[in-house]
Amino acid sequence: MKTIHEIEITTTEVILDRKPITVQESGDKMLVELYRRYVGDYPKFFKMDTLSRLGFIAAELLLKQSAISGEQSVDAIILANRSASIKNDTDYLATISNGNYYPSPALFVYTLPNIVAGEIAIRHHIQGETAFYILDTPEQLEQIIQSTLQAQGTTQRTALAGWCECSEANKFYAKIQLLRTI
Amino acid sequence: MIYCIGHSIISSLGVGSEANVAAVRKGRSGLKIYHDRYADVEPFCASLFDTPQEFVPLCVRCIEDAIGHLSFDICHLPETIIIVSTTKGDRLDLITPAKQIAAHFGNPNLPIVVSNACTSGVCAQITAKRLLEAGMYEHAIVVGCDLQTRFIISGFQSFKALSPEPCLPFSPDRKGLNLGEAAATIVYSRQPSAGSSRPLWTLEAGSIHNDANHLSAPSRTGEGAYRCLMDVLQGTTPEAIDLLGVHGTATPYNDAMETIAIERAGLQNIPISALKPQFGHTMGAAGVVETIICMLMAKRKDRTAEVIKMLSGFGGVNAAIRLKI
Amino acid sequence: MEQLIEQLKSQIIEALNFEDLTPADIETDAPLFGEGLGLDSIDALELIMLMDREYGIKLADPKAGKAIFQSVRTMAEYINANRTK
Repeated sequence: MKTIHEIEITTTEVILDRKPITVQESGDKMLVELYRRYVGDYPKFFKMDTLSRLGFIAAELLLKQSAISGEQSVDAIILANRSASIKNDTDYLATISNGNYYPSPALFVYTLPNIVAGEIAIRHHIQGETAFYILDTPEQLEQIIQSTLQAQGTTQRTALAGWCECSEANKFYAKIQLLRTI
Repeated sequence: MIYCIGHSIISSLGVGSEANVAAVRKGRSGLKIYHDRYADVEPFCASLFDTPQEFVPLCVRCIEDAIGHLSFDICHLPETIIIVSTTKGDRLDLITPAKQIAAHFGNPNLPIVVSNACTSGVCAQITAKRLLEAGMYEHAIVVGCDLQTRFIISGFQSFKALSPEPCLPFSPDRKGLNLGEAAATIVYSRQPSAGSSRPLWTLEAGSIHNDANHLSAPSRTGEGAYRCLMDVLQGTTPEAIDLLGVHGTATPYNDAMETIAIERAGLQNIPISALKPQFGHTMGAAGVVETIICMLMAKRKDRTAEVIKMLSGFGGVNAAIRLKI
Repeated sequence: MEQLIEQLKSQIIEALNFEDLTPADIETDAPLFGEGLGLDSIDALELIMLMDREYGIKLADPKAGKAIFQSVRTMAEYINANRTK
């Protein structure tokens, strides 16, 4: 398995293929800053929860790099984290509090962690596999990625895979790679 | 080959796979109408446990039932992985209960939780198959479980997706789905002798595809589900399939989408099984519950059979597996 | 009526997270779905919730929303005729 491109996003830093990207903002505002600078034409971004915004921005930047280097399309999206969709679950809970019960469908749809993989698939029209795992440590994901790509046959496969975590507002971390089987 | 060496279902219809399949054969349903189970929530129809259950003890009990007949202690082995399929876990926490289950059985490996919306139970079986085939483990215990809460019911009501009456999959009069709660376990192994001398089901194929169309509405062409069916049909023919376990949520769009995908894959003449009228939609457990029922319902007189189980869910994800005996 | 229309535009922007829009960007008679604002089925459900929360209107059948949510004006007219708060 070969890493073609890699992105790491913390609440204050963005590192793409080992080079830092200069950002003015931090936290949730930094994701909006990155959207305005690198995307700009996908207003659905503003409807997404933080977990989806994080994965979406990571995928945008990775796939822009990939287009520059002339890579083929993505066959699978394999993401994982530790906290599932807890940040957005908490936001949804606030809409069903006792005495103020107006459950929000727009928030409810993001109360599943795999929605971020779906958002990336829709944006880039990826009809391959999308999967989300909840793991104690990022290291566990290696076995899953390896066995997934191995099971998909001997032809060359490209996967967007990695860790995408958001445990509360302004607290997130992503490390996602574009991988290729050799 | 990946063999199914044990299984169990615990639902409002009974404890154990045999009790549940017997209930299904008798046409029993776990669905009831609840008026004031949760504050503020409108009345709803669901299949719930009479006595509210706790996530970890329920999963533990279900795994114990699935492994009870084995002649060795499968759980504590380092070559056994525990895979939990759930969408909301224990009070929105997914990793802690999974670790508690592994710790209860003394399993030395960190568990894997598969959370791929309504397809989780089928996806978890696919994960098990791959890890076993890659030689990373010898045995995999797949346990699917979700318990209903005010959180989940209110959300589906806000989606106007619930039928206030028992659901009617594939009926022109279908009004939506009913939710349910259950736990179900399937134990897979590379070693047939680990099970018994009887013929065992094998997990032949699995596939996951995204529609890349909409987060909450299925593709009008059934593209993802169709691709999954075509993938799992490789190595067999539509005529060889005895039973097709569909998702059959009884929402207008899901059942229409599945019909299109099934016809496109040439499976329109195969008997289908839609189990939501018996169990409700048991979310993370659904793929495991419904796979077990399909296996037990499909056996022919010569004791051979081949089944496909398919599911679709939020996030545009679709999944299918094929099993054979 | 005009006041309700302006208020509704702000509420739609807030409820549907149109961070890049101001009330002036939404045309009163433009279609909300498809062309125009390009809303989808989840947005429709969110608008049903908005009518309940802000105006005490309960819409049981989501299909009924089709006629009501044609434009901001049709929505305002419906609210005017049916509001309970």
